[in-house]
Amino acid sequence: MVYTKKNPALFIIGVVMLAIWFMADAGMLSGYIDHLGGKHYKHMPELLSMPKYFGAIAVLIGLWQWFGSHKEGHWDYYSSTVAGAMFILLIAMLVRWFIDPEVAALSKSMGTIGQTGKHLHTILGLNYVVMGIVAGIVIVNVFSVPEWAKNGVRVSRLGLKTGVILLGTLYSAAELKNLGGLSIVMIGFFVLGSVGMTLWLGARRNIPNSMGGVLSAGMGVCGVSATVACAPVVQAKSVEIAYTIGTILLWGVACMFIFPIIGHLLDMTPLKFGAWAGTGILNSAQVAGAALAFQPDGIETLKVAEIFNITRVLILPIIVMWLAVWYVKREQTGTKVSVSQVIFEKFPVFVLGFILMFALSSTGIFAPANHYKGKYFDNNKVKPEKMLKAEEKALLQAESAKVQRNDRKAALDRLIANGKVMSIDDDDVLRGLVNAKVVSKDANHILKNAHKAVRHTAKKVKAFRNWITWLFAFGLVGLGMQITVASMKQAGGQPAVIGGIVGFAKAVLSLIVVLLIVKDTI
Amino acid sequence: MKNVLLASHGTEGARAAERMAFEICEKGTKLHHLVVVPTLWQGMTGDDWLNNGGIRDKFRRYLEDEIGQEIEAHCDKLNVEANAHELNYSKEIRVGEPDECLIEASRDSEFDLIIIGSPRPKGKTGLRSRMHTKPLTKSLTVPLLIVPFPNE
Repeated sequence: MVYTKKNPALFIIGVVMLAIWFMADAGMLSGYIDHLGGKHYKHMPELLSMPKYFGAIAVLIGLWQWFGSHKEGHWDYYSSTVAGAMFILLIAMLVRWFIDPEVAALSKSMGTIGQTGKHLHTILGLNYVVMGIVAGIVIVNVFSVPEWAKNGVRVSRLGLKTGVILLGTLYSAAELKNLGGLSIVMIGFFVLGSVGMTLWLGARRNIPNSMGGVLSAGMGVCGVSATVACAPVVQAKSVEIAYTIGTILLWGVACMFIFPIIGHLLDMTPLKFGAWAGTGILNSAQVAGAALAFQPDGIETLKVAEIFNITRVLILPIIVMWLAVWYVKREQTGTKVSVSQVIFEKFPVFVLGFILMFALSSTGIFAPANHYKGKYFDNNKVKPEKMLKAEEKALLQAESAKVQRNDRKAALDRLIANGKVMSIDDDDVLRGLVNAKVVSKDANHILKNAHKAVRHTAKKVKAFRNWITWLFAFGLVGLGMQITVASMKQAGGQPAVIGGIVGFAKAVLSLIVVLLIVKDTI
Repeated sequence: MKNVLLASHGTEGARAAERMAFEICEKGTKLHHLVVVPTLWQGMTGDDWLNNGGIRDKFRRYLEDEIGQEIEAHCDKLNVEANAHELNYSKEIRVGEPDECLIEASRDSEFDLIIIGSPRPKGKTGLRSRMHTKPLTKSLTVPLLIVPFPNE
């Protein structure tokens, strides 16, 4: 079978992308950009580069697909995914660059909501991620995914996995240790708790063991992914699978919208929200969606949530094995459960990529090992014009008498003597001095500039952050195209009742635990 | 009636249609059994992205086997019952939307009557019916008998 379609779709997508780039580059969009925020519109650099390169690729491959001859083979299959992938990318571009700022502009024109001091779109988490997923859901359910795009839509999973792998470059060892510890405790408790609760409720409501098994994996571990992994092991019937997946998708989509709203209303920090979403949302895709919906312009929440997702997926083989043994015992099938086979089959290979990227990052290949969020300290790179000037030194000298703490006094003296911050510790101490507002506004301004002079952005890490944002946006739009209302409509029967109870209990209890035990920052 | 098309996938409403078919078909009637596998099953891997491709393939094969076995068991049972009523049983499995498949199947042969069951009433457990009767009534050229859902 030849998969590549002789179709102008990819060529047209490329032309649309190039048209966007051309209009932005020629200034034809200036009036509209002013309406979307003017100098506050932050997507201009992307608008002037991405559609140009991707548009050119789409036009070239599109022409070849439209007029070329295609034969069966691996290359044919890979080629058939390009149109769908570009289709998803175009939707992500339109949503991020135009629809999201349009909604934000409309929301800002309505003023802040009540006493919250926040705009409607912030409270509702209406941003490019949520709108991208909604766009995907609308396309598949209202228009259906075009035949030429179907293979490409499946590639969206690769986008998410690549995003997680690249995310490995952004963690420091301390962050990973602290987040890993927290996620193991939280996920361990809530996974075991919800698997146990589902099995217990299932036994009380007399559901078959196969249904209890598949439902408990879905409710307890990572939603649809766990259901897919577990269904063959507990020999779930087709109707049980349909019930379970329908229930999980319905819950997941609802949670993706509700969690960010509650997070904003409770003024949760990225750490707290990431921990809550990573634990309380049943389905792993919606965990990533909710994290980006909560914090669309940064990836701190995503970093926390993904550690929780990785912990879940690492626990999955253990849970599958547990359920396999449980099912075999209950049903007395006499089947032998091979521990090594289950672990080997279910082990998520992409997690190895994440670990590899983290290890590479720790060697300093992408940025100095001491970087935090892509920023690092280096006082050897201070440009001459950024060194303290004589009058600035004089002002700091005059105000040094106001500084009481010895460590701050010593750091300030070293700064005055050398004209630049001399160590990371000095930098931290002087940042404390600025925050304490001990010295005058002018002196604080000098100290802030001295801090900026020794803090540098790692270009590779900055690029990774941009790629990660796009990979997740791309992946989530594509996953939206795989959420069918027909599947969600199958939610029903006992799984809907049990799923409702367990899902609600998990969301509420994990919120309470997060608010009580998780700190605001790592 | 010599040639009857029966659409049934073994649910309670469809079983009522089967009983009605056995009741009204005379001995020797050709009973053609249509089973539709709705396209919703294609979306049953949902938005899973954490699993390796191998696990998803295994799941798809498992689900296909499971649905296949359920259909085979149902067809075998209906075949036995049809033989007991001395009817000439044949079967056909199509993948697609139920109403579209039924319209297409009705055009493939000269049927005298089409028999289908009713969707399950609210409150009854079971998968949601995907059969849309409005397009059926517009497109079918063969008399259609919709058998009421059985009373308890």
